[in-house]
Amino acid sequence: MTLPVDYILEMQNISKAFPGVQALDKTDLRVRRGSIHGLVGENGAGKSTIIKVLAGVYTRDEGSVSIDGQAIDTITPIAVHDAGVRFIHQELHLVPHFTVAESVFMGQELQGMLGLASRRMQQRAETFLRESLNCDIKGKTLIRTLSPAEKKLVQIARALIDDQAKLVIFDEPTAPLASGETEQVFKAIRRLKERGISMIYVSHYLGEITELCDEVTVFRNGSTVAVMTDIDEHATDRIIHNMVGRDIDALYPAKTVSPGQPLFISSSLSDNKRFFDINLQANRGEVLGIAGLIGSGREELIDTLYGLSVPTQGSIALEGKTLRLNTPADAVANGIVLVPRDRRNDGLVLDMSVADNINLASLDEVAIARMEKRGAAQKRATRLSDQIDIRPRNAKAITRFLSGGNQQKVVLARWLATQSSVFILDEPTVGVDIGAKVEIYQLIQNLAANGAAVIVSSSDPQELLGLCHRVMVMYRGQVVADEQALNLNFDALLALSTAGVATAVTS
Amino acid sequence: MNVASELTKEPALSFARVMSSAPLIIFVVLLIYLAIAAPNLLEPSTISLILKQSVPTVIVCLGLATVVVAGGDDVVSGGIDLSIPATAVLCAGVIADQLTNHGSSLFFALALAIAAALAMGIVNALLVVFIGMTPLLATLASSVAAVGITKVITSSRRINIDHPFIIYIRDGDIGGVPSAVLVAAVFVLIFCIAVHRTRWGMQLQAVGGSREAAEVSGIKASRLVAQSFMLAAIAGALASVFVLARGSGSTPGSEENLLLEMVLATFLGAAFSPRRIVTVWGAVLGAVLVSVLSVGFKSIGVDVFWTGCIKGSLILIVVASAAYTGKAQS
Repeated sequence: MTLPVDYILEMQNISKAFPGVQALDKTDLRVRRGSIHGLVGENGAGKSTIIKVLAGVYTRDEGSVSIDGQAIDTITPIAVHDAGVRFIHQELHLVPHFTVAESVFMGQELQGMLGLASRRMQQRAETFLRESLNCDIKGKTLIRTLSPAEKKLVQIARALIDDQAKLVIFDEPTAPLASGETEQVFKAIRRLKERGISMIYVSHYLGEITELCDEVTVFRNGSTVAVMTDIDEHATDRIIHNMVGRDIDALYPAKTVSPGQPLFISSSLSDNKRFFDINLQANRGEVLGIAGLIGSGREELIDTLYGLSVPTQGSIALEGKTLRLNTPADAVANGIVLVPRDRRNDGLVLDMSVADNINLASLDEVAIARMEKRGAAQKRATRLSDQIDIRPRNAKAITRFLSGGNQQKVVLARWLATQSSVFILDEPTVGVDIGAKVEIYQLIQNLAANGAAVIVSSSDPQELLGLCHRVMVMYRGQVVADEQALNLNFDALLALSTAGVATAVTS
Repeated sequence: MNVASELTKEPALSFARVMSSAPLIIFVVLLIYLAIAAPNLLEPSTISLILKQSVPTVIVCLGLATVVVAGGDDVVSGGIDLSIPATAVLCAGVIADQLTNHGSSLFFALALAIAAALAMGIVNALLVVFIGMTPLLATLASSVAAVGITKVITSSRRINIDHPFIIYIRDGDIGGVPSAVLVAAVFVLIFCIAVHRTRWGMQLQAVGGSREAAEVSGIKASRLVAQSFMLAAIAGALASVFVLARGSGSTPGSEENLLLEMVLATFLGAAFSPRRIVTVWGAVLGAVLVSVLSVGFKSIGVDVFWTGCIKGSLILIVVASAAYTGKAQS
């Protein structure tokens, strides 16, 4: 006979549906008292939905929740707070010009006989940070002078300062940190565990999960697929197998052309903040993938390659000629173009017609004496939009009313109209349906086949493997792998992105 | 790599620091110049005059500082209330009209003025908090409306006042200190304590610093922002008494100079704060300094039109410095 396990949190048979999506389907999540419980799954697996159900943001359709042995029928933010549950959001939510003490006591200021009890708040903040979080900073220090890790600890202190916390949920606590800084946050989390606080740790960084957690629940497609109690440093492979469980299908066009000469090269490129010492080489006729989690420096690198921000070190060269890219206009003038991740805000003028959006970057070619020739412009836009099958087949349609996939094709058509040689695509298929995805993949292959260098930055490992000739993996600002796609598989790519090392077994 | 990164970082940082101190440096240089060119500027009687002159600006600055603290000091999207001077002039018009043209009691005139101010505050709060308009546009519009109403009430004419209370605020003194300055000092103290030394004030600052952070911490941000606009309107009503005293009655158009000085003083005040943020006491100090400049220019015989031009340029420098510092920090 076994003793009943002591759970601080029991969520059983939780279901939650949104229009068209079953986000959670009879999902279970149980956290043992005093343990650190990892919660993992791919994007859309239901992690954030169940956390929001627990936080009282969403109301569950069915299932039972009990905190510290007490069943809770109606979950409200106040009820869970009173039950001792605290959430450490991914965003820091700090005011740069506030002091540490002011930040810790924000919304719960202490009052004395004469207004604020500033001295007492400073002392209590310092004591709590030192004793509970292993962090020695002064209460008077301004937030903007702290390191990212110290800011995170201040955020944690704010949630826990009232000493009522029993269960703390961490959502990606190390996402904004460089690799050297995570240890400081880990130490604080272990100290909290010693003090008997239970924790849920949500992260894409599987290396951190195996290092910190006692148990792990794996979600896939809204269901609990595994509860793993034997977590050690070798558990990463098993977690990945539980997370994925599917195959790459035939979405991707054949990669026929073999890559040619180097075209677009960066040497030792750094911004000294989010990415360091990047040596990137994009060849003619090649699709180069860039993999990495959000916060790996991937987005900042793309911005720098396109002149949206200026590097502090290193250089960028096109066909052996060093370029200074101070603005996107410099990049476009050199034939380097970007399809941005946020196409609706950064890529398109939504209230202009499809034709006007297509012609935006190449007006000179359809103009006489700098005046646009409307007829010629419309004709060319129509030809381009028919060529890549933008629907509706009406270049005068207003761009706002097109589907996501067709809007993306409009952005692509704009750059096809220019004589560009380097195409940078940032998350090209986010929010695009399967059919349009296949067409966009074909377009990308055609660009490469015509001798352009194509760089695809994506958070979808499957897409990178299927589409790219070569994949460069970034982890916390550094390149940890630059491999032919043929030599990589899904598990290896996921392991490289999430843990920085290829621990997964190649199968 | 550390050395290199520090080398590349350092100049940008110190340039930002110079930019954030630029208004202060320019003001100090101007003050030194005035102190040399007009030696009587530092005599007790002149200082007393300067302080007295500065009172209406000081009071409207209390209101603006409160709104900026709650809305954040982003020059474009942050908190601002351009309607406080118009509210002050509206209230002055109401009081003068009631006292001189209708023979009402002082109590009734003041009550009516406060009601008018509260109406302005409610309109601003509704426009900003519930409609979601940018404070800059919302209060510009309500300001124009308030000036219009003032013209209707006063028929766009000057109204003299000889009520003993107003005369006392103008001429009275307690132990040699002008009574207007003493009364203003009390209001300054109340606003300083409320905004900087109470729980309510800390939460107001939190909302201005990061609205999202404040809301996550359980602070009711919208309510605080609305309250800041109400307080600003009340500051406008308080200022009206001093506007009446300074001018011995209500004068159409006196909101223009008040608006100029209020914006200049409040954002200049940010340069005094070690954190480079708008504070109540900083705004008060700024208002006094602006008054020193006005009196100083007058005493060395600078054309009044040139004074306006100089003040306008100073506003540009102060606001540009605030915008640049904000950009450098983000």
